[in-house]
Amino acid sequence: MTRILLIEDDTETAEAILAELGDRGFEVQWAGNGVEGLARARASSPDAMIVDRMLPGVDGLTVIEVLRKEQVRTPVLVLSALGAVNDRVRGLRMGGDDYLTKPFALIELVARIEALLRRPSDSRETILHVGPLELDLIERTARRGERRLDLLPREFRLLEYMMRRSDQLLTRAMLLEEVWNYKFVPATTNLIDVHMGRLRHKVDGSGETQLIHNVRGSGFVLRSR
Amino acid sequence: MQQTQLIRSSTFLWALAVAASFALFVVALFAFIYWKLDAYLVARSDRMITTQIHFVAELSPARRVSAIADHLAQDSRGVQYAGLFDPAGKRLAGNIDRVPRELGLDGAAQGVRLDLLEKPTAHGPVVRAVGSRLEGGDVLVMGRNVDETREISSVVGQALALGLLPAFSLCLLAGAWLSLRAQRRVEEVNQRVQRIVAGELRERLPEGGTDDPFARLARIVNGMLDEMETMINALAGVGNDIAHDLRTPLTRVRLALERGRTHAATLEQLQDVADKAIAGIDQSLAIVTALLRLTEIENNRRMAGFGDVALDEILREVCDVYEPIAEDKHVGLGVVTECNVQVWGDRDLLFEAVANLVDNAIKFTPSGGRVDLALQAEDETALVRVSDTGPGISEQEREAVLRRFYRSDKMRNTPGVGLGLSLVAAIVKLHGFRLIIGPAPGGRIEILAWTGSAGRPIARRSRALLHADAGQMG
Repeated sequence: MTRILLIEDDTETAEAILAELGDRGFEVQWAGNGVEGLARARASSPDAMIVDRMLPGVDGLTVIEVLRKEQVRTPVLVLSALGAVNDRVRGLRMGGDDYLTKPFALIELVARIEALLRRPSDSRETILHVGPLELDLIERTARRGERRLDLLPREFRLLEYMMRRSDQLLTRAMLLEEVWNYKFVPATTNLIDVHMGRLRHKVDGSGETQLIHNVRGSGFVLRSR
Repeated sequence: MQQTQLIRSSTFLWALAVAASFALFVVALFAFIYWKLDAYLVARSDRMITTQIHFVAELSPARRVSAIADHLAQDSRGVQYAGLFDPAGKRLAGNIDRVPRELGLDGAAQGVRLDLLEKPTAHGPVVRAVGSRLEGGDVLVMGRNVDETREISSVVGQALALGLLPAFSLCLLAGAWLSLRAQRRVEEVNQRVQRIVAGELRERLPEGGTDDPFARLARIVNGMLDEMETMINALAGVGNDIAHDLRTPLTRVRLALERGRTHAATLEQLQDVADKAIAGIDQSLAIVTALLRLTEIENNRRMAGFGDVALDEILREVCDVYEPIAEDKHVGLGVVTECNVQVWGDRDLLFEAVANLVDNAIKFTPSGGRVDLALQAEDETALVRVSDTGPGISEQEREAVLRRFYRSDKMRNTPGVGLGLSLVAAIVKLHGFRLIIGPAPGGRIEILAWTGSAGRPIARRSRALLHADAGQMG
């Protein structure tokens, strides 16, 4: 069972996260402050950690910094009410692997924790396979079975990102950050949907099994089966 | 207390110092005049007695005695002295008792003490005298009292002293007056500032009609206060706008939840209500996020993220991102750029600005229209132009669209947070570029950027001129 350590001082937030992650089959430990969190992280070595940035006593970034100095490589998702680009950069530089600004959707938190737990497959691979899909990173070609897919560069990058994280929920925010490299929320809210629609149109031809799935209200999944 | 303060005030101390140095100067002047006058008078009497002694010596011995007697008789003030002595030193004529010992004969005039026949004063007067040995061994001595030069000097000195006293007092009075005036003005400024601190933002410092440093300082501070009042009012306006804009989605959320709680009969209906509520809350959060982003950019005085940015790449990338969205709306999107146009700036922010402009343009262009992105580079400037065939921005709306949360009435129903152009304006300001809004019909917004070597210093300098630049729109 995957064990997750949550360091969060707000009880209600913590309870909601505990319940949601519990439903998803994770075993979650909860620490209410930095000192306790640090002790638990050392004692139980969890698979992933969710750390609130602002904690009473020792703050979240310090906890991460201390652990990183002790060569603890556990993936960490930083939660924070500070959403400015600079805050984010600092959070990631101090050893956080991902950064989520409060308030967030629970589905977003789960998606990001799953993404952290399942680091993308070996990046040295030059040909990716997911189900009938094949992506040649050197030739820059994509095919589904025998059918060649004619992709634009942006669509190619999107498909590559999705194939490295097949069967994972990818939220719009994750795609914006990782594929489009956006540092802001675009005014047009369906920006990702339109691009995804294009890609899906090319990947899933008529009569073929649908590979790219829209998860209502949260994001997209590329299913291998 | 008031008096010690007055005496300690620097204006008064300065006045005192000026008065003292003025007095010193006058005393020095007086000493100089006295010295010059004295020298002149002595030289004049020397010339006179020398002429007289020559005149008497030229006469025949017989007439000398009567000439001396005449000479002395004419001198009503008793300042002339003369004496004729035989070779043995016995007095033959005149009012000098005997030949003064220290007087050198046949020399220049010199100051000596004479023994007179009748002693007018207790001490012998200081006298300039000249002596001459005549043929036949007689000695002729002629002198002149120079005490009068001392008298003239003392008269002049008294006059100067009498003049100096009022001048000195005048100096002190002027100092006291200036110092009092300064104190009063400081006190007045203090009172007004206290009122401003207390929240009366419309209060201004007294400027007066004059052009003295005080008035100029007051004008500068008043200019600053004008700016700050505008800013504070704008902030207050933003507060209202936020409240208003947040109310709309929150009202929807509340209504949906309230109705759902009483009327939802099935789980599906309840989920539907919850979805609506979440959508409404997300919209409220989007407003908060956009607002925080705007504040972040506006407050970001540091230029940590600055570097050389290729504008043409940004334009192509934005076009790439928005092409499918434009196509979905049946709006043509085209880009014309020049190659390799570098500016000094923050890549992410400039991307955000151009993306926002294109986003807006597509949003407000009816289907069948066109949006064009262009980049023109000249010697030291680069012009990014986003034009569309939409309604454009009317003259009256130009300033308003840059205000936070402005959305023109016709667009009330278009989705969007309404902060897009304010964000662009803030980013453009931060870079020291200029935002130009073209006339309607047809939307046309341009960003005038500085390229090459000119870019950096301007970007830095313009931080002080941010406000001024933003004011030059259109």
